Amino acid sequence: MKKVLTLMLAVFTLLAFTAGCGTNTTDASKTAETAPQAKAEKVRIALVLPATVDDLAWCQSMVEGLKAVQKTMGEDKVEVVTSEKLGSAVDAGAAIRQYATQGYDIIIAHGSQYQSVLMDIAKDFPKTTFAYGSGFETAPNIFAYDPQAQDGGYLLGMLAAMTTKSGIVGIVGPVESGDAVKFNSGVQQGVAKGKADVKTRIAYTGSFNDIVGAGNLAKTQMSAGADILTGSSQQAVGAMRAVAENKGKYWLSTDMDQSSVAPDTVLAAQAYNWEKVVTKIIDLRKQGILGGQHLTLTFADGTIELKYNEKLADKIPAEAKAAVEQAKQDIISGKLKVELPKK
Amino acid sequence: MSSRSRGVFIQIVVLLAALVGALLIGAVFLILAKSDPLKAYGVMFTGPISDKFGITETLVRTVPLLLVGLGIVISFRSGIINIGAEGQILAGAIGAAAVAVSLPDMPAVLLLPLVFLAGGLSGAVWGGIAGWLKARLAVNEILSTVMLNQIALQLYLFLIRGPLIDPKEVSYGTGVPQTASIPQQIWLSRLIPGTRLHSGLIFALLLAVLVYFFLWRTSIGYRMRAVGAGPEAARYAGIKVEWYLILAMALAGGMAGLAGAVEVTGVHHRAIEGISAGYGFSGIVAALFGRLHPLGTIPAAVLFGALLLGADMMQRAVNIPAAMVMVIQGLVVLFVVSSDYFLKNPSFLTHLKAKIFGQKVDGEGGK
Amino acid sequence: MEGVMNSAIIISILATGIRLATPYLLAALGEMFTQRSGVYNLGVEGIMMMGAFAGFFATLHLGSPLLGIIASLIIGALMGLLMALVSVTFKAEQGISGIGLYMFGWGLSGLLYRLYVGGITSIDGLKEVKIPLLSNIPFLGPIFFNQNILVYTALALVPLSGFILYKTSWGLNVRAVGNKPEAADTLGVNVVRIRYECLIVGSMLAGLAGAFLTIGQANMYADNITAGRGFIAIALVYFGRWSPWGILLGSLLFSMADSFQSMVQVLGINFPYELAVILPYVVTIVALAISFGRVWAPAALGKPFQRGTRG
Repeated sequence: MKKVLTLMLAVFTLLAFTAGCGTNTTDASKTAETAPQAKAEKVRIALVLPATVDDLAWCQSMVEGLKAVQKTMGEDKVEVVTSEKLGSAVDAGAAIRQYATQGYDIIIAHGSQYQSVLMDIAKDFPKTTFAYGSGFETAPNIFAYDPQAQDGGYLLGMLAAMTTKSGIVGIVGPVESGDAVKFNSGVQQGVAKGKADVKTRIAYTGSFNDIVGAGNLAKTQMSAGADILTGSSQQAVGAMRAVAENKGKYWLSTDMDQSSVAPDTVLAAQAYNWEKVVTKIIDLRKQGILGGQHLTLTFADGTIELKYNEKLADKIPAEAKAAVEQAKQDIISGKLKVELPKK
Repeated sequence: MSSRSRGVFIQIVVLLAALVGALLIGAVFLILAKSDPLKAYGVMFTGPISDKFGITETLVRTVPLLLVGLGIVISFRSGIINIGAEGQILAGAIGAAAVAVSLPDMPAVLLLPLVFLAGGLSGAVWGGIAGWLKARLAVNEILSTVMLNQIALQLYLFLIRGPLIDPKEVSYGTGVPQTASIPQQIWLSRLIPGTRLHSGLIFALLLAVLVYFFLWRTSIGYRMRAVGAGPEAARYAGIKVEWYLILAMALAGGMAGLAGAVEVTGVHHRAIEGISAGYGFSGIVAALFGRLHPLGTIPAAVLFGALLLGADMMQRAVNIPAAMVMVIQGLVVLFVVSSDYFLKNPSFLTHLKAKIFGQKVDGEGGK
Repeated sequence: MEGVMNSAIIISILATGIRLATPYLLAALGEMFTQRSGVYNLGVEGIMMMGAFAGFFATLHLGSPLLGIIASLIIGALMGLLMALVSVTFKAEQGISGIGLYMFGWGLSGLLYRLYVGGITSIDGLKEVKIPLLSNIPFLGPIFFNQNILVYTALALVPLSGFILYKTSWGLNVRAVGNKPEAADTLGVNVVRIRYECLIVGSMLAGLAGAFLTIGQANMYADNITAGRGFIAIALVYFGRWSPWGILLGSLLFSMADSFQSMVQVLGINFPYELAVILPYVVTIVALAISFGRVWAPAALGKPFQRGTRG
């Protein structure tokens, strides 16, 4: 029996040991909680991402936006923490609640699938600001942001139609829903406007993150004649890389400017300026507005930008660029409204 | 100490040793990732049990793990390997949500059972397909369930972005793939206010007991286990093996379908993208940890729920890439499953018992 | 819509189908050896991810896709060794060991990528190699003889595997170990050793299948790059009834269906794309259900070997 006791003792020591570690961390987080009250002007932002911080698309664009906010406002004024790969809303919910408990001021849940989770949690933390997107439904302390992806898609579509030599523009879509549909519909309308006899061909991989599948779909698009391609979500970089293999084939990127990875392939990009969006949320919060607004990202306020790849500027005909710029002004002035598909 | 409780004690000791082994290897990767293993593990183990938040969140994960695990117990005990729980959860979720949103004015006493029935049936049909394919056409169930997972995923996405999409998503033009919110009267009540722990936990626990009685106290359950133990012998004994294979898969699918229905009514209040959240796979692990016993699956599901949550909390506490979570889970599974070897090795067990309880073990009476 | 199926389009569908079949073929042939020896390895997906990462990483830093191939083979072998240790030496339940290996491989590949690469980075992968003369054959040339070296490797492995399995003494031992390990043991065959060898060879091929994704197709790496292909490969082993030619047939059928549905979508033929995407899966199930009847599996599949006990 003596040995049993020795063993039990060992187990308890181990438990006490691990528990000790835990207590330490809790202490640390408690000090962190009291810190902002001492230095009230510091904004603490938590970011929850469905995919990885380096997806070169939706998630990374927000990460870069927050970095820009930190740079502009000062590292000591803005604290940013991130949790990634929370594709499941259950895990995301735990992360969001934990951040809220730890006293973060603004919690950005960067995915449309987080809407229900936020509605559930936000009630329990009335002093915290929550934001999510794409979406429209808000609450007193929830902002919904909503990129008008169709506007950028429209401009890129026009550009593609007036630049293509084969007369075929190919789209490598993920799953036919949400922002992808908005974007694709914009491209389609833009192509039709740009040049009447240019065709848009839309195909979907059925997955948000299968880059190999997207690459293969892009190859099929090209072998069927497309010479300018575009597509959205995490999987799109796979398609872009496949396009980069071929001379004379070009890519139009969305969410963020992807030309850093394929400088000889990306003609232009629709890029979201999350810095402005987040700065607006911070400002509203300072004015005491914790949520309740549906923030659209548009060309008008510069939260969507059209970026050209300088290196490939000569590949775009001058009249195409002029027409696109004109259309952009028309969108900003409200003269041109890009329609959304209504089923 | 009775020999039975001594056996359980030995089992726990060996499992703990396996866990420690996994964590030691995991520590190497944590050091590679430039973080402090002690701090990381401290969070992983104490996070899920240190406060109300951790405990309730653990139990939120326990519910679907347990339900899926029960289905796995039924199918594995009947000699069928069901890898299709992911697809069956989706089938259950969409079936439950579809019924719920189409009958918004029905009182909860009628609607809730109907919604659960719809979820269970949808899952049962989806699982039953694989069972039927195996029983009638000899299609291997590993093959068919893997394929059916992919098919279910695409059909699910099609339904939540097409026919069943929230009409508001269409009118606002956001088009997010999710169904409308289900009627509020059938939202499962929260057991502790301010947390997500819902009454689905009680439902799952009751079901675990029910499955136990079903498998060990009814003649149908007995026959299913007989089929699992040896289909040829069962056939000689006059059992209609084919029929019980289909039944086993339908029941397994039904359990996973109920998990889907519980996630819809208890957690998300609608059918959303990614609702199965890998429970279809983790549930298999939970069932095997629970030694394929319905009641053993209960603590296993709690343990695995805590592991899922703790590893996830670790990501935030010590700032390591999310991939580390998977590394540790994988190592734990590999070590724990390997530890079985020592538990089945009589000479090792005798040796260990002698070490722990002293030399006179063999002479002691049983009780 | 301009749905004329001209010969260029048909060539494209078939050539793409061959390319898409390659990772399935490699991984499934590997899994075939593993299962023939009586072990089913559900961790193929995780091994593929590790192989994909290793191939990518070596190519990125050493500048040669061939070294990437070697790296993926080595990493594959190590993963196979791990699986063998757990499932053969420790006799762990094989299904769950495989799931553990899958999680471990997924996590580790993602972790290493983040720690040592980070961010989307592209590499120069394998190029198509035109086989002289043969690639000029009309129609067949562009389909079969203008592919990269791993495609040829995979195709060549089909008859080679058949030869090894049915015509060599090692192959005979493998089949004996998978069917009647006790009998094989009595005849002096080292069951454990054969199973180790099969797991290692099988996992090397899975690693190679992963490398094909990064250095033969995507020319980059991203988290979860295999996207379920490893599980499909396992299913194809069953579909192919544990024979190399059956696996070739299954891989081609599956991939041709996939390639066909892509083209159908691209050509704008009005067809809900979800149905198109699930087509390959449905085709596989239906083909299996209607054509074969009872499948033949290695008798000892899934059963750990214990000397001196039966069954």
